[in-house]
Order: sequence, then structure tokens, then C-alpha cells
Amino acid sequence: MPALLLTLIAGGCGERATPGAPVTLVFKHAKILGPADPVPGLLRRFEALHPGVRVRSEALTWSSDEQHQFYAINLEGGSPPFDVMMLDVIWVPEFARAGWILDLTAFVPAAERAAHFPSALEPAVQEGKLWALPWFMNVGLLYYRTDLLAKYGFAPPEAYDELVRQVRRIRAGEGDPRLDGFLWQGKQYEGGMVNVLEALWANGARLLDDAGRPFPEPARARESLAFLRGLIESGVSPGWVTAADEELTRRPFGDGRAIFLRGWPYALDLFELPASPVRGKVGVAPLPRLPHGEVGAGSTGGAHLAVSARTRHQALAVELVRFLTSDAAQRAMTEGAALRPSRPSLYRDAALVARDPSLPALLGLMQRGRPRPITPYYLMLSTTLQPEFSAVLVGRKSPERAIRDATAQVDHLLRAIAP
Amino acid sequence: MTDRHLSWLFLAPALLVLGGLTVYPALWVLWLSLQYRIPVFSIARWAGLEHYAFLAVDTRFWNAAGVTAVFTVVSVALECGLGLGVALALRGQRHWRRVALALLLLAWALPSVVTAKMFEWLYHPSGGLVNFLLGGRAINWLGDPALALPALIVADVWRTTPFVALLCYARLLTIPPELYEAGQVDGAAGWQAFARITWPLVRPILLVVLLFRTLDALRAFDLMFVLTGGGPAGSTETLTVYAYRALFQTLQVGFGAAIGVVVFALVMLVAVGYLRLINRESRTA
Amino acid sequence: MRAGRLRDGLVLLGLALYAAPFFWQALTSLRPDAELLPLAQLWPSRLTLAHYDVVFRLSLMPRALVNSLGIALLSTLLAVGLGALAAYALARLPVCGRGLILLGMIAATAFPQIATVSPLYLMMRAFGLRDTWLALILANASFALPLVIWLLAGFIREIPLALEEAAAVDGAGRPAALRWVVLPLVAPGMASAGLLAFLFSWNEFLFAYSFTASEASRTVPVALALFPGVFEVPWGDIAAASLLASLPPILIVVAFQRYLVRGLLAGALRE
Repeated sequence: MPALLLTLIAGGCGERATPGAPVTLVFKHAKILGPADPVPGLLRRFEALHPGVRVRSEALTWSSDEQHQFYAINLEGGSPPFDVMMLDVIWVPEFARAGWILDLTAFVPAAERAAHFPSALEPAVQEGKLWALPWFMNVGLLYYRTDLLAKYGFAPPEAYDELVRQVRRIRAGEGDPRLDGFLWQGKQYEGGMVNVLEALWANGARLLDDAGRPFPEPARARESLAFLRGLIESGVSPGWVTAADEELTRRPFGDGRAIFLRGWPYALDLFELPASPVRGKVGVAPLPRLPHGEVGAGSTGGAHLAVSARTRHQALAVELVRFLTSDAAQRAMTEGAALRPSRPSLYRDAALVARDPSLPALLGLMQRGRPRPITPYYLMLSTTLQPEFSAVLVGRKSPERAIRDATAQVDHLLRAIAP
Repeated sequence: MTDRHLSWLFLAPALLVLGGLTVYPALWVLWLSLQYRIPVFSIARWAGLEHYAFLAVDTRFWNAAGVTAVFTVVSVALECGLGLGVALALRGQRHWRRVALALLLLAWALPSVVTAKMFEWLYHPSGGLVNFLLGGRAINWLGDPALALPALIVADVWRTTPFVALLCYARLLTIPPELYEAGQVDGAAGWQAFARITWPLVRPILLVVLLFRTLDALRAFDLMFVLTGGGPAGSTETLTVYAYRALFQTLQVGFGAAIGVVVFALVMLVAVGYLRLINRESRTA
Repeated sequence: MRAGRLRDGLVLLGLALYAAPFFWQALTSLRPDAELLPLAQLWPSRLTLAHYDVVFRLSLMPRALVNSLGIALLSTLLAVGLGALAAYALARLPVCGRGLILLGMIAATAFPQIATVSPLYLMMRAFGLRDTWLALILANASFALPLVIWLLAGFIREIPLALEEAAAVDGAGRPAALRWVVLPLVAPGMASAGLLAFLFSWNEFLFAYSFTASEASRTVPVALALFPGVFEVPWGDIAAASLLASLPPILIVVAFQRYLVRGLLAGALRE
């Protein structure tokens, strides 16, 4: 009750645009993929609900690393020229710790918080305070060609050695030299890190232990890395995956030139477009496991919406965030864009499921997914570890040496952060 | 106003700018390298020689040092050899000299980012001219750890040879033709003329050029950063790229400063060594 | 005679081949998108200005060109202005610690940018100069100053002292002599130094990449390095942008070659 009262008061005495003084909110977000971009429509609806308020949306660059650099440079400088921003989930603890985003605890009632996936909310809550609201959700999953697997009588593989066997069998049977086996993202960037993490988790290894120390299960981590390198050496995955990101792998699979693809849910919408060569032939499954791990250790991801700490229109900006993450807005996003909502209830919504029958299956995958380490220093860790992992994938370092060197680098980093 | 006053008046502005923007930062970076400094998280603590101790055993640092060394030595050797050759070819040029120099200096004058993007496109596996001329083989020049560094060196040599060529060419022009005529009388021609007349006169300028080019190669950043980003897997990551990543990617200002100081010390060491060598040369000449 | 022309022509052809990468990039900027990947034939079926259109209408290059021009001109003016005064003082006037200052100048030309970029970044941040023209003007000018002073001091020393002494006999004080005797004679040298400083500032990447954050101050090299591409890299557009980025350097190499060459030679040959 007090929270509700607080919200009403906060919403009430916040900035109502005084007539003659139009307020412009600047909303920075990345390009939304999919058949139709629902964001402009949503922003117009918000403007209609709040007369005198205009929302200007500005696009970020495509690359996640560049987006982060843009934010870091502008937020660190003092007065960033935007009010509401779309953040990759992994940045939220960092931005909160750096004091760049607004504490939303007082503005958002508990019921509204609980409507989102717990694993999406976890990174947004630091030191008991809420710093951002989830906007859409992602999880790493396995795409497979239903027609090819059915032709050889295979079910989606639950273990990676099964996947390798299936690839070999199918390729031998098809006799098509241009048919690739298993595509994944091995380029040296955050996406590559995600792939490596999923391989670690698939083998029951963690990146950090509870005390924040790196590689608590080094032998299993070594196995995971050796497995990834082995995929390339044995030809199950083509050599160019070590320089490939999401789009570079989605296209060949979407053109029908690969059997398996590790990807995010957005790709499914693109595979099901009318002109797609693989329309109706793509299935979705949890990521396989390695000997010591479990099935379905996909990495969760997605974007959150946060308010700049230096905004001059606090209440309005928070209103925009709450509006865009509301049930109605996320419904529109799911219908229009290749995005999946952060509200579990929408995955069982009859109307949405009728349009997209894969939603219930995705719900299960999302609930089994694991977040990347939730720490303000995640990005520092990732950029420190990426070169080491990349060296293993291209065959320049052995997994043992890479883990040893990576541990030394992380230890050095931690000495600066946590004395 | 006496001359002495005037001299200070004239010198002061330049010294102020240099002092504030070159000397002071040079000292400050030393100070930064002795700290744990991560401005984003307001971390600022004394570290002493921790960063240097870590660098001594850091494999990534030694890899970068190796890449820097190979890049410097090979690049400078190639551009000096090639530059001298171009200068010798240009020496007898009588017609269209300005056009010739313009074509030559173009490579040197272009922004390094332009050169990087240019070669990135030339090296493209399917759209690049290099693979096209090689008969359509899809060699991944910038994606193969074994090929990336040579590819980078070729781009750098292309960019810097004109500078060497120009300087050697200017020196060659000052050699009076009578020397060669006299040499011909003695029966020295072709290779011997080069070895006995040209080389001793060109050597001093070549040593100076060697110094400049070595210092530039040690400090090189733009080309490798834009062309390969230090990849793949660190095969083209020089000390400068490593320092940049530490500073602006992992935001470890103290650690990045330490790597910068190492580059600084290396450059100064090489400069002093070279200057001693040049001094000795000019004394014995 | 004919053999000389033939030989010179061959050398010219050789040099044209040397500059071929640039001409290839120019051709790429006129090649239609469909014929970029994969490369099927050397000469495109038709030439198109579409890439230049994209660069001018949709990219940040126009603004970056303005930024680069302004920053390069102003930093050149600053460097040559301050440098000329300092060079005159070092060349002609009594300066205590001259040797030390000159040694310091030479040492300063060897400073690696990667070492000074982090303190400069913190400094610019502290003064609120991040993402401004002033930050880059100061940084570029300070980096070019040692070389400019070195060059100009040499040029000034070349001017016979007798000329200034004659002016003194005629009753002109130091400043007048400077303005009417030395300046006109060292003007070509200043042009050379200025061209080198301009070229350096135009091409400068590391400081620009670190100090700029938006199109308010982004220079051409940074805009080129960060050229946006949604999914695939727009090679044609990048080639067009590269050509635009190369215009001042080309102009300098073609139209102001004499000054450029003189500056380069003076810098190296003066021992």
C-alpha cells in the first residue's frame, strides 16, 4: 500500500508538461530487428497519453561493444544527451555501480517487478535497489533442420557427441560439400564469450566461483575449450566461425546451408519469413550437454531500459520506461518485432501463441537459461578473457595455457578491484 | 625590452603548451602507472610496482613485445631496402618528375585509417583484389593468425617506403656525376659504382632514416588497430594496441599507463642507442 | 633521348602501379553494390555515384569533414604561430639553457602517443573539454610543435645574419626586423612546416578516437573507422568516404609538393 501511494505521488507531482513548455525525452536504443518496428508506434501512444511530451528516438550503432563505448563516454562525461536508454543486461550492474542510472526502487511497485522473469530481474537489482526494468528477453538455443533430422531418423541431440555423430551421418548421406555442420559464434567479441560460457556450463564448469575467483573447475573448463576447438579441427564447424558473429552465422543457416545453429530467438522470426528457404523446416531445442553438465545451459540475455541519472525529467522518463516494459507494450513488441518478452505470462497468452506456436517451448528454455556472471566488472572480465579464448579457438594456444594465462590476468584485474 | 626579455616572451607560449601537454603528461603517466586507477568505479589506490611485476610474467605482454619487435625489424628493413631501390630508380628521372613524386608520396600522405580500410578491402577473402589476382582463391589474409602479421607489414611498408625513398633520392641528387665518371675511368661500373661511390654517401642519411622509422614503427598504432584490431588471437597485437585495450576497453588506466611507460622507455632506449651509433659514424666518416 | 623518355615512362608506370591500391579504392567507390562481393571482374559494368550519395546524405562524414578542417587549420595556426616565435628565439636570441631546451624538443618528438593519451584524456575530462574542438586543437598543436620549432629554427638560421644587422643599422628594432626582414624570408619555410602540421592533424587518429564522443568533434579518421554498417560492411560507401578523407592529402601532394618535400628533407637532413 505505501509503495502504491508513493508511486501515485511520484507520478502525480512529477513533471507534468506545463502548457507552452514542451518536454522532449530522448530515447536511445539499438535497431529493432524483425518484420515491423513497433517502437515508433509505442512512442506515439505514449505521447498521446502525455500531452506536451515528445519522445525522440535515436538509434545506436549495431555492435554491442560500440554501444557500450558510446554510453561509457557520454555518461562518464557528465551531461549525457539522452534520458532513457536501452542497455544490454550485462551492463546494468556496471552502470548502477558507476552511478550513471537512476534508482527506480521508489517508482516501481513490487507487483510490477514480479511480473518479469526472475533471471531477468536479478541483474537489475543491486544492493537491494532496482536500477532498470527488463524490456525483452533472450536465451541461447539450438536451431536444427527438422527435415534433415527427420530424413535420417534423428531426434534433436541431447548431448554434443550425439550432435557430432548426427552431423557426420547427415553430411555423408547428403553428399553436399557446401552443407555445414554446426554453426556458432566464435569471433572475439561478447557473443563469442557467450558461446564459450555456454560450453563451460554445458560441462558443469563455471567462470567464477561464489567468491569471484576464476575457473573453479579447471579440468572441465579445459575440456569445454578443447571440445570447441575440436569442432573446427574435425570440420564439424567450418573454420570461419572463429570470425563469425550472429548475423554471419544466421544467414547461411537461413539459406539452408547448415544443419545446426546456435543462436538467439530473434532468428526464428527471420527463418519463418515467407521468402525464407528454410521456412517450416526449422526446429528449436535446448543446447546439448557435455559429459559433466546438463542440457539447456543456454545463456540468457536481452535488454533492459534505464533512466540516466542526470536526466532533467525524472518522473516522465521513468513513466516512459514503465510504459515500454508494460504488458501491453511488450505484447506489441512480440507481435511486431523479432523479440521475446520478459514477462512469463505473455508466453502462455492465447492470442500470442496462436501467432507464434514456439512461445511455450521458449518459455521452458528461458526458465532453464543462466545469466552471465552478475557483477559490475563483467565487461572488464569479458574483454580480458576474450583474447585468451579466441587464441584457443584459432588454435594458437592450448586450453591449458589459455586457462592459466586467463587466470593470471583475472587475478591481476581483481587485485585492482577488490583488494 | 632587451633581447633576453624578448627571448623569454617568444619562447614562453610554446614552452607553456609543450610543458602542459607533453612534458606534464609524460611525468603524470609515470605516476599513473604506479596506481590502481579505474575512474569509472572511482578506484584510485597505490599499487607500487605491481603492474610492472605483473607485466614481467604476463604472456600477453610478451606476445605483444614479440609482435612489436618482429613488426619493427621486418617493416623497417623492407622499407629501407625498397626505399633505396626506388630512389635509385628515380635518380635518373628527367621527365615527369613532379608526377612521379606525386604518385610516390600519395601512399605516405594518406591518413593511416584510409590505408587500413584500403588494405582491409584488398585483403577481403571474396571481394578483395589480392585474391582475385591470385586466381580466385579465398585466402583469409586477415583472419589467419599466420598470415595477418605479414599482411599488416606489407600495408605498413607500402605506406612508409615513400618517405625513405624521398630522402635517399634527395641525397642521391647531391652526388656529383663527376664521381661516377671518375669511377668509370677506373673501370668501376654498375654494382661496383654502387658499392664504392653511392653506398658510402647514402649510408649516413639511411642511418638517420632508420632511426626515424624505427621509432615510428615502435609507436605505430593506427594501422594495426583499424586493420586487424590486434587479432586474430593477438597475432597482430603490438604493445600499443595492448595498452589501448587496457586503457579504454577494460578501463584500467593504471595498468594501461604502465604498458605505455614501457613503450616510452623502449623508444627512448632505441633513440639513445641510435644517436650514439650515428655520432660514432659521423666521427669516423 | 628516346631511350631516356622510355626509361622515365617505365619508372612512371612503376610508380603508378605502386599507387594502384589507391586507384583501386577509387574504382571501388564507383562500383555498384551488386558487383562488390564477390569480385567477378576487374572493371565494373557501370559506374555509379550511389556510394557518394549515401556518404553525403546518410553518414556523419560531412560533419566530420568540417570538424577535421577546422581542427587542422586552427591547430596548424597555433603550432606555426607559437613555433615561429620560439624558433626565432632559439635561433637568434640569447636563451639560457638553449641546449637543454633543444634537447628537450628532440626528445619530445619521440614521445609515444600511447603513453601520453591517458593523462591527456584525464586532463580533458577534468577541464570538460571532452568532445570539443579545443581538446584536439591543443593536443595536435602540442604534438606538432617540436617538429615545427626544429624546422623553423633551421630555416631561420639559414637567413644571413647580415640582413638583420643591416636592418638594425637602419634603426629598426628586433620586432621590426623580425616582421620585415625575417618573416618574408622564412615564409616558405613556414609554409612547409604548416603543411606538415596540417597533414599530421588531418591524419591524426589516436587522440581523436579517444577524446571525441559524437559528431560534435569527431574527425574524419574516426568517422571512417566507425563507419556504420548494420549487418554487412558497406565497402563501397567506405571507399567513397575514404576518397573524401584523402582530398586534402592529395591536394598537398599534388599542388604543394615543393613545400612538402622541402619540409620533409629539412626535418631529416638537418643534423
